[in-house]
Amino acid sequence: MTSTLSIQGLRVAVGDREVLKGFDLTVSTGEVHALMGPNGSGKSTLAHALTGHPGYRVLEGSVTIDGRELLGLSATARARAGLFLALQQPLEVPGVRPLDMLVAAGADPATVAVRVREEAERVGLRPELLERFVNVDLSGGERKRAEMVQLGVLRPRFCLLDEIDSGLDVDALGSVARRLSAAVGEWECGVLAITHFRRLLVELVPMTIHVVRDGRVVATGGPEIAERLERDGYDGFRAPRA
Amino acid sequence: MTTFADSAAAAIDARPGGGRREAWRAFEEVGLPSASDEVWRYTPLSDLGLERHAVPTGPSPARPSDTARRLGAGAGVVLTVVDGFLTPVGEVPEGVRVTTDESGRSHTGQALVERYARDAFSLLNAALAPATTVVRVEPGVVLAGPVVVLGLAGPGASFPRLRVEVGRGAEAVVVEYLEGAPDGLVVPLSEYAVEENGSLTLVTYQRLDDTAWQVARTTGFVERDARLRQAVIGLGGHYDRSRNDAELRGAGAANELRTTYLGRGDQVHDFRTHQLHLAPRTTSRLLSKGAVAERSRSVYTGLIEIEKGATRTDARQTNHNLLLSPSAHADSVPNLDIRENDVLCAHASSVGPLDALQRWYLESRGVERVDAQRLMIQGFFYEMLEALPAALAAPIEADVAAAVAGVARAAAVGS
Repeated sequence: MTSTLSIQGLRVAVGDREVLKGFDLTVSTGEVHALMGPNGSGKSTLAHALTGHPGYRVLEGSVTIDGRELLGLSATARARAGLFLALQQPLEVPGVRPLDMLVAAGADPATVAVRVREEAERVGLRPELLERFVNVDLSGGERKRAEMVQLGVLRPRFCLLDEIDSGLDVDALGSVARRLSAAVGEWECGVLAITHFRRLLVELVPMTIHVVRDGRVVATGGPEIAERLERDGYDGFRAPRA
Repeated sequence: MTTFADSAAAAIDARPGGGRREAWRAFEEVGLPSASDEVWRYTPLSDLGLERHAVPTGPSPARPSDTARRLGAGAGVVLTVVDGFLTPVGEVPEGVRVTTDESGRSHTGQALVERYARDAFSLLNAALAPATTVVRVEPGVVLAGPVVVLGLAGPGASFPRLRVEVGRGAEAVVVEYLEGAPDGLVVPLSEYAVEENGSLTLVTYQRLDDTAWQVARTTGFVERDARLRQAVIGLGGHYDRSRNDAELRGAGAANELRTTYLGRGDQVHDFRTHQLHLAPRTTSRLLSKGAVAERSRSVYTGLIEIEKGATRTDARQTNHNLLLSPSAHADSVPNLDIRENDVLCAHASSVGPLDALQRWYLESRGVERVDAQRLMIQGFFYEMLEALPAALAAPIEADVAAAVAGVARAAAVGS
């Protein structure tokens, strides 16, 4: 059954500054969307606000999955409703074991260890790196692979990737992108990849590209948008007047 | 009913040597501390009731718990010490010697009564311990399997005394585990000597009954380029006092001390540390991190002392306390005493909630808040066990997880 994540008129402030100023976007399961925009345009704010990060204040708007409003819910409830965020810089949680975290997040305790090993192999991560503490002592690339392991075990309906390509070498980027593409096929994961480079998109081909400037989506379209960006840069896309 | 004084006199009469009489006289002179002594002001001394505790004349019949048995099974060498009495030891690998010492002397050669003068509980240990259990790792020996010292305590007053000696260039991992009967009083006195270039990793896990008292004191003697890594975990006890000192005696000596605790009910966890830097280029890293729930309280008092001539010393002290209930309380008192200019020295302490971003990260994976809290508190303890092989870490982790689960559930209700 297809599910739809719908963001409508979202306004979000960080501190006193309004960063998202009426953001609209819809993505369904089985689809890959890319969200592209210059630094400071609000891309990361969107990812954090959607997952209930403390420090991001929602002023107005609505975020639903199949009509169910998420904005009043706890971070846990949003995750359980099907939202998974892969972070730009995944946090270290000293003392907490990945397996314990995944079981607490709903993974089957009987199979979680085997599943983690399988998923680690798929993204080229040495499984013993997941026997220590969550993200502790892992390199940037290892952390992002580790989050793909979480994704594979938890199988969320939607995955938001916050600039997962930054700081990744070509090999790591390739394994992350291939894992995501496979997830779309395996359980119709809906993917919203936030990026400001096109590199990720070579192996994770988006059907829809959204360009964001100044807290709003200013253009939505197919591959032709990426070509236009390549040619003209973000200056070719103007923010509408408020 | 046998009182403490009568049974102590009988114990000393049964084994009169080793400075026991001198130590008892010194104890009588000093007397038990009172709450007006600054270093004892958080101690519920009126609950101690020393007179209630009889000193056993031999090991009381003790049944090791599952945790104790599993720890023993994962060890290279197991010593079982019941009420301070070392029970017969099985085969010991080459390069390790296990003996008992009744000389009444410290590692330093001083009589215990001098070395621990004015410290009432250490003097009691000097008077009443059956003997010092000595574990020596010969120079150059790298022990493959850890040494586990299973300490079991009966309902009376017991005075275990341990000395671990790691010879030049030798390496060892030692786990000290302590469990005991309700209402007991346990007063351990331990010394850890690490000779030149040696390395000792030590984990102490205190799991006494929640009605028992522990007043423990340990001292590390760390020689040139030697390393002492020590983790001290306090879960049990009505009153749990653990004083952990280290003397960095040779150039390049290093001490890492991490302590953690979980307070429940009306427990008091009282940690005292003293890092004494005597030689150049010595380093100490001290991290104390714990949580207090319900009506429990914790005390952390640490002193870094740097002697003149201990140039380029690098000493750090950090204490974080987590309050899980409005009725819980944590005190943190770091102190510095520096008599040399050319040093790096820092201390930090905090009392506050769990790291909100780490908690959010777990929640954003779908972990419920109560579970995130439980995993993070449990994590304080798991971090202490990092140096242990899985066969020893696993039984302690299982025991910790069970203890933390109930507390975290109760604490999350209010957050």
